[in-house]
Amino acid sequence: MSRRTLIQLCVYGAVCLAILLVPTFVDNAFILNKYGRYLVFGILAIALSLSWGYTGILNLGQATCFGLGSYCMAMALKLRTVPVHTGSEGLPDFMVWNNVETLPWFWVPFHSLSFALIAGIAVPVLFAMLLGWFMFRGRITGVYVAIITLATMVVVNLLIIDQQRFTGGFNGITDLAQLEIMGFTFDAYGRSSYYLIAGTLTVCLFFALAVTKSKTGLIMQAIRDNEGRVRYFGYDVAFYKIFAFSVSAGIAGVAGMLYTIVMEFASPTFLGVSLSLSVVIWCAVGGRQSLLGAMLGAIFVTGMQGALSESEAFLDTWMLIMGFVFVLVVLLLPKGLAGAVEMLVDRLFKHEKPQSERTALSQAASQTGPAQ
Amino acid sequence: MTDRPHDDHLVMRDILVSFNGFHAIEGFNFAVGRGELRCLIGPNGAGKTTALDLICGKIKVTAGNILFKGKSLNKLEEHQIAQAGIGRKFQVPSVFKELTMRENLEVAYCKSNSVLANAFRFGHRSEDDSFEKLAELVGLQDALDRSAGELSHGQTQWLEIALLLAQDPELILMDEPTAGMTHHETQKTAKLFNRLKGNHTLIVVEHDMGFVKEIGDVISVMHQGKMLAQGSVSEIEQNAAVKDAYLGSGGISGA
Repeated sequence: MSRRTLIQLCVYGAVCLAILLVPTFVDNAFILNKYGRYLVFGILAIALSLSWGYTGILNLGQATCFGLGSYCMAMALKLRTVPVHTGSEGLPDFMVWNNVETLPWFWVPFHSLSFALIAGIAVPVLFAMLLGWFMFRGRITGVYVAIITLATMVVVNLLIIDQQRFTGGFNGITDLAQLEIMGFTFDAYGRSSYYLIAGTLTVCLFFALAVTKSKTGLIMQAIRDNEGRVRYFGYDVAFYKIFAFSVSAGIAGVAGMLYTIVMEFASPTFLGVSLSLSVVIWCAVGGRQSLLGAMLGAIFVTGMQGALSESEAFLDTWMLIMGFVFVLVVLLLPKGLAGAVEMLVDRLFKHEKPQSERTALSQAASQTGPAQ
Repeated sequence: MTDRPHDDHLVMRDILVSFNGFHAIEGFNFAVGRGELRCLIGPNGAGKTTALDLICGKIKVTAGNILFKGKSLNKLEEHQIAQAGIGRKFQVPSVFKELTMRENLEVAYCKSNSVLANAFRFGHRSEDDSFEKLAELVGLQDALDRSAGELSHGQTQWLEIALLLAQDPELILMDEPTAGMTHHETQKTAKLFNRLKGNHTLIVVEHDMGFVKEIGDVISVMHQGKMLAQGSVSEIEQNAAVKDAYLGSGGISGA
């Protein structure tokens, strides 16, 4: 393991530890819930960093997978409210209002929480595999991928709104039970949910880090750099892209499930264009080529958004301020905040070894210099 | 060439390539024996690069057949052709600029192409050693941990040659490997190529006749999408048809 990887592991571990220690200093249920929400967005940003930052797939429909995960969790939690928010038949209330008489077949397995937990990951992954298969086998790249993913998200969103009888339509799925695993209840406004989210975040972050450190991760970055060249080394580029796209979708699905737990409902806005574009902004601000950077970018931007929109002084102008910050970062720090930190560290290290640097430079000069 | 078909590593038979009706290559026949180093020359627009594009799968033939080790490449995708044992160096050096040189070599060293197998594959010490040897061979041992985007043009050329060596294909296609190299570097490349032939089959597209003379046993000359002549350096230099094709560009040595 190189020294660089070791330092990276330490930094990642330290940040996760800091996040896990927050509840020891904060005792306000409302604030903990808010922080939990920011962390969920952090997980979503990790997912996009993996596909956009590492593989060069700009997924403008990242919220599709987030929403699918969210609905899977909401369906399971809705069925757990029997009989309070369901009719005597065990039907969710909105189905009763819409004259549905029996529970639809695709709702039935969600009586099992384990099924829901698996589905929350598997449904987004299968969705991404299918979409990825068509896009990447067809060698669709760049801006067209962005358009297709965005359009697909709008379609799924409309489908959910349209099928009100089965999905709750515009209102989404509300009045949910609290998540209960092996007798332990996760209260949306308690420490338990915060720890659940922070723990999942840690797992997701290190899982994503492991993917990027593997050979597959290296080939993903090579694809981002020069897709055509990778083919001539014998790699099936489409499969690598489908892999990155699906892993990203799975992580987004996990984030969606957690979001339902912390928000206590699921809504079509979770598959919205504005959320999807926000994820892109978080990654750009934090540094899309760094998992940690993207995650912190999400926490930083949503945190600032929350703070600004809640303070009276900025009630009317907070959107402007956010836009200004975004423009500033994109203009001055093309690799985001993580890129700026990396540059700073590099500069510090360079003072230690000016000798080797100088020889390398002089060699480069002799190769391009007067001989030509 | 045709009297020893069992030795032919790569055969191109009656190739036709049509771009919207324009026949870039027509009636093209070509064969290279195992372990041979073949130079492919010709005036601009003769179809040399197109011929390499055909072999590595970048372009598909309109008609005709390309056989590698007796098997047709016509229906294979680029990565399948690479897996079959064909490697390519492009005219414009194309390396992964955002990766370090070591990472570039790791990508080229394609031991397994499966996504899942590679997901559980992390750096190996034995690979590191062989990458260091490769870097030394091309004179870039100090640049292993620098990003490829920082390398000079000449260094990038060498890196790309190192990538091909890491990939270790049976058949190596080189498109103008010495473009932008100094005289000294060109000679070093010639030495390297002479060492590679025998173990590898090489097809080299080149303009530098000095270089061609140093490495080429048999030279194939293309003109207007067809094979014009084939033979040793002196035979080609005497060939009247070749002289005609190069007319106005100062003869073959001036091309």
